[in-house]
Amino acid sequence: MSDPLRILLIDDEERILRALRALLREHVTFATTDPLQAVALARQHDVDVVICDQRMPEKPGIEVLREIKESHPRALRILLTGYSDLKAVLGSVNESEVFRFVNKPWNNAELKALVTEAGQIAREAPVIARDALPPTEHDRARSAVGVLVIESDAAVQQRLREILQPYYKVNFANSAERALQIMEQQETAVVISETQAGRNDLTGLLKALKLHHPHIATVVLTERANAQTAIELINEGQVYRMLLKPVRMGTCRLSVDSAIGRYWQLKQNPQAARRFTAAPPSEHSTTSPLRLPAALLNRIRSLPGRLLGAARV
Amino acid sequence: MLWAIVVLLLCACAALGFLWFRERQGNAALVARQRDAEEEIKRLQATQSQVIHTTKLASLGQMVAGVAHEINTPLGFVKSNVEVVADLLDDYRKLVKQYDAAVQYCLQPVDLIFGADKASLDKLVKHVEEARRKLFEARATLEKSPLLSDAKELLKDASDGLTQLASLVQNLKGFSRVDRDGMDLVDLNEGIESALSIAQHQLRDRVRVVKHLQPLPKVRCMASQMNQVFLNLITNAAQAIDGEGTLTIESRATPKEVEISFADTGCGIPDDVLPKIFDPFFTTKPVGEGTGLGLSIVHKIVKGHGGSIKVRTTPRKGSVFTVSLPVDGAAATGPAAVAANAA
Repeated sequence: MSDPLRILLIDDEERILRALRALLREHVTFATTDPLQAVALARQHDVDVVICDQRMPEKPGIEVLREIKESHPRALRILLTGYSDLKAVLGSVNESEVFRFVNKPWNNAELKALVTEAGQIAREAPVIARDALPPTEHDRARSAVGVLVIESDAAVQQRLREILQPYYKVNFANSAERALQIMEQQETAVVISETQAGRNDLTGLLKALKLHHPHIATVVLTERANAQTAIELINEGQVYRMLLKPVRMGTCRLSVDSAIGRYWQLKQNPQAARRFTAAPPSEHSTTSPLRLPAALLNRIRSLPGRLLGAARV
Repeated sequence: MLWAIVVLLLCACAALGFLWFRERQGNAALVARQRDAEEEIKRLQATQSQVIHTTKLASLGQMVAGVAHEINTPLGFVKSNVEVVADLLDDYRKLVKQYDAAVQYCLQPVDLIFGADKASLDKLVKHVEEARRKLFEARATLEKSPLLSDAKELLKDASDGLTQLASLVQNLKGFSRVDRDGMDLVDLNEGIESALSIAQHQLRDRVRVVKHLQPLPKVRCMASQMNQVFLNLITNAAQAIDGEGTLTIESRATPKEVEISFADTGCGIPDDVLPKIFDPFFTTKPVGEGTGLGLSIVHKIVKGHGGSIKVRTTPRKGSVFTVSLPVDGAAATGPAAVAANAA
């Protein structure tokens, strides 16, 4: 690599830091056991990538990463954790918007490749500092693009209709098939989806959608998130938000609002979508998009790309 | 007159027969009721051992969650370091190869000397000078290279990590005592230590643990059950402390008893709650967080060992739970009764 990346490492265990420094020795690394210093270090050294532990006495990793996201948004964030509790998983999506969620013990070759990829993206892809749009533009966006809800439960559908109908162009689907029909006909900015429709898994669809159309923002609704499924949705699905059922009006509106903002800005700045690149689907996962029927995959792939600027990312 | 007597006698017989019949029926009902009661008791006992087993599994689940974190951190750096050291050694081998090349270069003049004339001797001197420089450089690179000391440091961390993992596994084994079931002579201080190491993730960074453990005579008990008692009391103490606090664990021996106390600086137990704390299914924790069985199991196990448990509490100051066990072990109920409680 011509110019080494600058990487910030945060973990309360010194030996983890030494191991990571040795592993990433071809890059310039800065390491600290004190999460309270992390934000300052990230800005001071203008780092490209941050790798942060979740469980630390002074402050949890998701909070450290959220602060770095706000003060130094250029850096891509990786959460490295020994045990994935649901709070960490949800926080890493909704608060710190991590690029990847990595479990300890990690795989050296994969982590090295991941850091290199993240570093290149951080350097090359433009930053969207805030998802929220100015009010007039937000109104324009809301009337121009649609929100699609994939939900099989009639009661939840009704609830979402009440929350969303007055503000957005909403469509409802209760299957992957119907969802694709709608997306083929109408420009869709946000997909709100549960993880399963009846007995059918939807996460494969969400991952495939993100793989081919990274600018579409996905909001996942889940009853009792399974940590493993959620981690896969972060890494391979780059979900925008993950909300627990029952859906609350406030959080739901906020999430959809900023998701539309995100889509709208990516539409004008397609290169920035690289920041939300999903990991290549893992073949052994039962919910891998590779297991979707070929016909469905083809339809997802050939959904009309509606980005201005035209360059497919 | 005679008829009258006969009739009277018959009546009396009939009355007696009826009474006898009723008595027999009553007896049968009593026997049936007793049988029912016995069955009910058996069923309750089975349920109870089931419940002990279930809470054991629930605390196992909690434990696994905490232990997973404890294991994955050292596992993370050990695994990484071992692989990185292999890479470092490859890099080092490259340096050694360069050094080797320099040595080869130095040896070439020896061949040249034999067929030397004036011109080639000048060349030779130049070659030797060049060779010296190269050798010096290669050697300096080797000496300055941090590869070996880095590798050594990484291996030291890896080795420490493995020791940490080994002691964790040892503690888990010691905690569950899967290798030994049934009554055993046990040093309860060891049980306290292993319960502490299992509860580590709930205490770390938040609850300071102060130990005053006096040497104890060995007590005859079921080690795995006593460990469960300690873990439950430690977990409860940790949960009673909101934010930072101290857990003081003391053990001492009297001629007849061993006493172990767990004192926390937590929220204490309100007066209206205190009488109910050992009741099964009583809990003050939000739904899903506590089974309400922890203390009832603790009580049950301690009683089963012929011991007792006492609580002293001051709201907002903290609580002290003191477990006393007879030194001669479960004498009150006998080993069989205790074994029956083992699920």
